[in-house]
Amino acid sequence: MKVKKDKAGVAITVFAYIFISIFALACLIPFVLMVSASFSDENLITSKGFSILPRGFTLASYGLLFRSAKQLLGSYAVTIIMTVCGTFIGLFLVSMTGYALQRKDFPLRNAISFFIYFTTLFSAGLAPTYLWFTKYLGLKNSYFAVFLPLLMSPWLIILMKNFVKSVPYEITESGKIDGAGDFRIFVSLILPMLTPALATVGLFLALGYWNEWYNSMLYLPNVDYKPLQYYLYKIVNEAAALKNSLAGANVSVGSLPTQTLKMATAVLATGPIIFLYPFVQKYFISGITVGSVKG
Amino acid sequence: MAKSSAIKKTGRAAVFWKRLKESKILILMCLPAILYFTIFCYIPMPGAYIAFTNFNYKAGIFGSKFVGFDNFKFLFNSGKIWMLTRNTVLYNLAFIVLGNALQIFIAILLNEVKSKYFKKISQSIMFLPYFISAVIVGLLAFNILNYDFGFLNSIIKAFGGDPVKVYSMPKAWPFIIVLVNLWQSTGYGSVVYFAAICGIDTSMVEAAMIDGANSFQKLKYIILPSLKPTAVILFLFAIGGIMKGNFGLFYNLVGPSNSALFPYTDIIETFVYRTLMNQFNFSNSAAVGLYQSVFGFAIVMLANYLVKKIDSDYALF
Amino acid sequence: MKKLKKAAYLALAGVMTASFAGCGGNSGDSASSNSSSASSSGTSSEAKVDTSEFQEITMVTMGNKPTNGRMEAVMEKVNEILKQKVNASLKLQYVEWNDWQTQYNLLLASGDSSLDLIGTATDWLDAWPNAKKGSFLALSEDMLKTYAPQTWASVPAEHWEQCKYDGQIYFIPEDSYTQWTNHGMFYRGDWAKEAGLDKVASFDDLEKYFDGILKNHPGVIPWDAAGSTNLGGLVEGYINAYTKYILINGTTTGLFNLFYVDPSDPYTVLSPYMEGTTLEDCAVMMKRWADKGFWREDVLNYTGETRDLFYAGQSGADQHHTQTFVSTIRPTMDEKQPGSEAQMFPWSAQSKNLVKTVVTHGAMAIGFNSKHAERALMVYDLIRNDQELYRLFNYGIEGEDYIITSDGKLDRPEGYDGTKDGLGINFWWGRTDKNELTDANWYDGKDEIYKEYDSYAIEYPLGKFVFDPANVSTQISALADVCATYMPKIAWGKNDDPKAEVANFRKALKDAGFDDVLKEIQNQLTQVKGQ
Repeated sequence: MKVKKDKAGVAITVFAYIFISIFALACLIPFVLMVSASFSDENLITSKGFSILPRGFTLASYGLLFRSAKQLLGSYAVTIIMTVCGTFIGLFLVSMTGYALQRKDFPLRNAISFFIYFTTLFSAGLAPTYLWFTKYLGLKNSYFAVFLPLLMSPWLIILMKNFVKSVPYEITESGKIDGAGDFRIFVSLILPMLTPALATVGLFLALGYWNEWYNSMLYLPNVDYKPLQYYLYKIVNEAAALKNSLAGANVSVGSLPTQTLKMATAVLATGPIIFLYPFVQKYFISGITVGSVKG
Repeated sequence: MAKSSAIKKTGRAAVFWKRLKESKILILMCLPAILYFTIFCYIPMPGAYIAFTNFNYKAGIFGSKFVGFDNFKFLFNSGKIWMLTRNTVLYNLAFIVLGNALQIFIAILLNEVKSKYFKKISQSIMFLPYFISAVIVGLLAFNILNYDFGFLNSIIKAFGGDPVKVYSMPKAWPFIIVLVNLWQSTGYGSVVYFAAICGIDTSMVEAAMIDGANSFQKLKYIILPSLKPTAVILFLFAIGGIMKGNFGLFYNLVGPSNSALFPYTDIIETFVYRTLMNQFNFSNSAAVGLYQSVFGFAIVMLANYLVKKIDSDYALF
Repeated sequence: MKKLKKAAYLALAGVMTASFAGCGGNSGDSASSNSSSASSSGTSSEAKVDTSEFQEITMVTMGNKPTNGRMEAVMEKVNEILKQKVNASLKLQYVEWNDWQTQYNLLLASGDSSLDLIGTATDWLDAWPNAKKGSFLALSEDMLKTYAPQTWASVPAEHWEQCKYDGQIYFIPEDSYTQWTNHGMFYRGDWAKEAGLDKVASFDDLEKYFDGILKNHPGVIPWDAAGSTNLGGLVEGYINAYTKYILINGTTTGLFNLFYVDPSDPYTVLSPYMEGTTLEDCAVMMKRWADKGFWREDVLNYTGETRDLFYAGQSGADQHHTQTFVSTIRPTMDEKQPGSEAQMFPWSAQSKNLVKTVVTHGAMAIGFNSKHAERALMVYDLIRNDQELYRLFNYGIEGEDYIITSDGKLDRPEGYDGTKDGLGINFWWGRTDKNELTDANWYDGKDEIYKEYDSYAIEYPLGKFVFDPANVSTQISALADVCATYMPKIAWGKNDDPKAEVANFRKALKDAGFDDVLKEIQNQLTQVKGQ
């Protein structure tokens, strides 16, 4: 059935197209600048400035990066392994907790929810946390110091909990009647129905791991391969790191295209996670909807 | 609740224990999370005591000399704490209010767009900024704003204007930071709201239109009310973080050394970090952090209390 | 239902208090056990040297962990020798340059028992604050005599005195290594000539030199500095060049040092930041320089590496100390910019205000929680004094990382590029002249520079003075914050009215308790004078 639009409606639609186009463009431009700069000639960039189209198209920056690919590939490997493991383990733990916490017949659910939520309000602070991690948990220079703190977060658990609410309780009930235990019900009946939520929470987890740099800075000064974003952070903020990163490539330091190299590294550090999005978009959107509407 | 009929009045505690026993497996399922938050959040928490000590490395946090509120003094004496609190709260309010307004606005517009491809592609593009780390945000901002070869100035120069010295203009930074935040979060937020709009029963809208409702009425009576639950939830979550800044964003945008900008850009987190960097004083920085937690906690409790009074369904706990 | 909720909260509260208590108890216990183990290792110096048990020693050093593989290759050889001589191996723990102040102090605060040897320094790495906070193990004379006998014998008593706090030795000084660490500006002789200057010997000359670059070399930034790594800019240099005052070590307020003495009366504290017109003059000059474009408009957010740009001919100056100039800057410039005739303008050129490098510009400490303090000292003693190990550790493998020329000088093999083939062990905590080779690549004008310095340099008069900030720590925090807020603006000319900015700075310092700190320093100086 079709409803005829009033004049205001048409105007709104036109406005919608224009406004969204402009906003989307604004979102896109910085990325275009980044990509174009990575293909640009360093001297033209520093004399004329960044531009939408590459200035003096060259692959020099990427060439340099690949000549010393060992560091970069190492960082990729570390980040990818962490992202994949962290996302899957995190998803399992978050959804399991989320399921248990929304079960109406679970007497401790409010208490545990509060126990988890409370951690968003109070934190020990940098020094006590650092001491605890390094001195007692022995996580200095261990990738676990970066891996573990991102595995779960109160926000993700609550998101998941809200989503699980939309799964009818009758499903749990029917599982019980069949004599299945709570864990069995969760794994074989509930989990398969959570695909959109899993895609959503999974994407958040993956983003968390992919974009981590701060803990890497604190806890991983002596590992050979830094996680990707920290590797980038160093390159952006410290020329010595750029030099170091190219130790294998046979170039003299004075001639390094600093700006364009930074950009090329940034492009490589961002690329893979962006390409992940279209694959999960479908689930993602429905996932956020249900999760954020408290039932 | 089927069993509740069988409960005797006096047996509430017993019932509680019985139900607890029955939910053994559920408790086990929560156990990893409980252990996790205990180990990574709760156990270090008493360490915040460091804020009340003259921290001695050898003596450890609990063996160090207790100095009461000495570490808080310098914050309050200088009046710095008010500036930091003001900045942190104002920035967060701007993020929450402007952010949600823009997100809702775009979600509504998205709903008016009929082309499926346009919808999908524009959503994907708007989502892009959400995917990048604070490090890259800082880098992109510098590329656009810097005086010598920034994109903004190369455009201004191309049109014959004088380049602007953005990094020497403190007053411009609240706008820049808010803009960058909107840039990064709007795509995500508008998808959330858009999804909520999609969840509206279409027959209701159609019925209204047939009854002669115009577009604005549709908006006012159907769409906006349907967004309320989402908005309240997001708002409550945001309130929880109102005393916390997005450290990565501020730190990477402003940097640790451009002190001319600090009066307008310093938030509690960046100040804590700089205190540590410049003074190596763990106790001082912990004092600021503790102030932040306590103040934030009070705000959340207050907000939750108010929400509960208005509509208890929405309360966080 | 409601009551149930309440019960759950109560239960939760119970769990939480239990976890608080439990945790507090635990950490308390472990803290005390740590301190007891530390004291036991401190008193065991009477024991005979027993190396039957193999031990791995960790050494904290500054720098980014190198990625060119040379460090690993060298460490393997080092460890072969160490295994054989003292049944130990050595592992390096790097503190990266990124936010290194935070990283270094966090690392020390962690009191990790694996921190055995810790590189430190009193003038740039906060050795004193860390000693006072308990980071380092007190080294008894017996311990040093037993486990580091060669070092003990080679360091004279007055140098040990400079490593003492409360009568205890806390670190071993790098006191027999000749180096000048006085700062100044590196510039290009050829460009100075173009600007009509024979040499740059004052800030006014420097200004002419920079003006000349702007005129003669468009596109080159006279001094392409990165403010983020140098918040105080040239202010300290300016004070050095226009006054005779010298800094008191160990009275830092954050990243800045406000307190000076006049060497003719070294027990009276003063501050050119507060008195006189030096700071104002400097602020005015820096504002002018900023406006002229001697550095980038965005200097405080710019993160480029000035030195590399200087090498590449894109910056006309670079700022650091003499040792850097003779060892690195001049040789590299001769290679990368032939004919550039790189020179150095030491701040002391005209004021003749120069203090010899303190013996603790580099020093080695032992972590308070170290489980291998004795063996660590033995390892250190060997590295410092055993010529074979010393050269291996500092230069690398002979024939691969360095060669010895026929006249006995150190040279680098064919195709060696110091900017990427460097060893990166950065052992700045115990070099000695007796094991050093003269580097064939170093600037051969160095002797002349050293001779000139020697003609007027004075000894640091307050070597035994260690300031204890306990009574004024609140004020020092406040001062540190004030400095970090105002100094970048003053030093880099980021203000509208430099004189007003200085006035505001001074007022803020006063408000933050400047006078209290000044008085406290004076009291402690008077006490030391009386002894």
